[in-house]
Amino acid sequence: MSSRNTKNINRLMIYIVLFVFSMFVIIPVLWMLSTAVKPMTEVFTTPPKWIPNEITWEAFVRMWTDYPFVYYFINSFLVVSVATVISLLFSALAGFGASRFSFRGKGSFLIFLLLTQMFPSIMLLIPFYKIFGTLGIVNTHIGLILTYITFTLPLCSWMLMGYFNSIPKEIDDAAAIDGCGKLRTFIQIVLPLSLPGVVATAIYCFIVGWNEYMFALVLINDEALKTVPVGIGELIGEYKVMWPDLMAASLVATIPLLIVFLFLQKYFISGLTGGSVK
Amino acid sequence: MNGNLTRSRWSGYWFILPSAIMLIALIVYPLIYGAYISFFDTNLTNRWDFVGFKYYIEAFSTPEFIGKVYTTLKFTAIVVAGNMVIGTLLAVVLNTKIKGRGFFRAILIFPWLFPEVVVALLWKWLYDPMYGLFNHILLKLHLISEPISWLADPKVALIAVAIACIWKGYPLIMVLASAGLQSIPKELYEAAELDGSNKLQSFRHITLPGLKPVLLVALILETVWWFKHFTIIWLLTAGGPVDTTSVVSIDIYQRAFEDFQFGRAAAFSVLVLFVCLFISFIYRKVMADEQ
Repeated sequence: MSSRNTKNINRLMIYIVLFVFSMFVIIPVLWMLSTAVKPMTEVFTTPPKWIPNEITWEAFVRMWTDYPFVYYFINSFLVVSVATVISLLFSALAGFGASRFSFRGKGSFLIFLLLTQMFPSIMLLIPFYKIFGTLGIVNTHIGLILTYITFTLPLCSWMLMGYFNSIPKEIDDAAAIDGCGKLRTFIQIVLPLSLPGVVATAIYCFIVGWNEYMFALVLINDEALKTVPVGIGELIGEYKVMWPDLMAASLVATIPLLIVFLFLQKYFISGLTGGSVK
Repeated sequence: MNGNLTRSRWSGYWFILPSAIMLIALIVYPLIYGAYISFFDTNLTNRWDFVGFKYYIEAFSTPEFIGKVYTTLKFTAIVVAGNMVIGTLLAVVLNTKIKGRGFFRAILIFPWLFPEVVVALLWKWLYDPMYGLFNHILLKLHLISEPISWLADPKVALIAVAIACIWKGYPLIMVLASAGLQSIPKELYEAAELDGSNKLQSFRHITLPGLKPVLLVALILETVWWFKHFTIIWLLTAGGPVDTTSVVSIDIYQRAFEDFQFGRAAAFSVLVLFVCLFISFIYRKVMADEQ
């Protein structure tokens, strides 16, 4: 009897914890939604109103018509996709090399990959600004693409190496006996088998690039070349903050990540945690 | 046989070569170049006055830089502690078999999917002293008697910024800890129950030790990540009020791209690198001693 009581109390405690933290998450998100569908006249009221008298989609329309968000989104998609593809290509090769072959300097290479996570990215900002300036690629998407590859390449190589390690080497040997070259073994046999890992890595690259703010802020000045985070960040500096527009833009900027995650979360979570737990 | 082995050794190099070149060109060279810049008073174009270790000596002899490192450590400690405690707690709670588990998990992972810029703007709006929801809720619950300007009050600004960062950061720990929990054998709990240990004892003696490897790795990465964090703080307070949220990355950014003191900023970022390496070194040492 008393054991059942403790069980009920435990269960109650669990629900209280979940409820409190869910509120901590939901209230800000709902407030964002609520602000985005308010007419300007109802934004600045005390006490704040959850459901406006008049629900309007004006902010979502204004965001595309009054601000260059079309360009920001195209820019972000372009920069992030190219960076993701290149990063995946390079890191898949490196991951396979580190997983399948032993060679002098491999240990140092792997440690170096981990060390890149330790240094402050702001340390690269000043040299990048100067070097890209010399190369004439400040204020171009090329510079930004190179920057995002720099961020993702080390960790992606590491993640993919973990994935390739989990695929038995006997498969490679069998392919070799059949006369399959190393590159072909990699592309036709190992890579398809590690699809979940590749997808997880691609999502990681996409999220990193889609989120990045500081480098895009410094390296791009041209209005037509800016990315979504910089575009959104700029709205706050204006004299009168148009909160509905800001919240609408914020919601729309989150959608790509939401879509990617909803469809591929199974791959992503197992990919992300695979390496760290094993 | 021997020839075959040599060839496979070379194959390894071929596969890592593209990445290695990229990393040398885009990380190693810029880092060295950054260190080089730190010895000059420069505007990066026509003025390159060699000043030697001047900026390094300055960093240690004036209280300003050390104060900013201290602010950064304080900020990092609050955010990382918050993330680790909340993330682990929620992972453990979500690991029990209860109704609606999937629903709660989906909600609780949500903040992770928001871009940092979006999180910053959302919280800026929530913290608005006049029309912000945060003050309104606290007033209604009678926890405060008058509105607080969260981001403009030096006493609370750092903690206010940290709360926004915890909102963004705890889901990652939750995901990692959840995965860690999956790897703890269920038999251990059953055995403990037979021995008469209660939930709290099981948590203390089975769950925590089982999670330790995952949590230690997460702790190192989290500490370094939040130590160098820029975006959310920059958009919420830009280092203010009166420098109370001026962490090192904001300080470096302002010195370089607002004051155009690139040499000084480069020197400070070299020092930040050493602080980050030092932090991970300490953690590694602690981990090695524990094992």
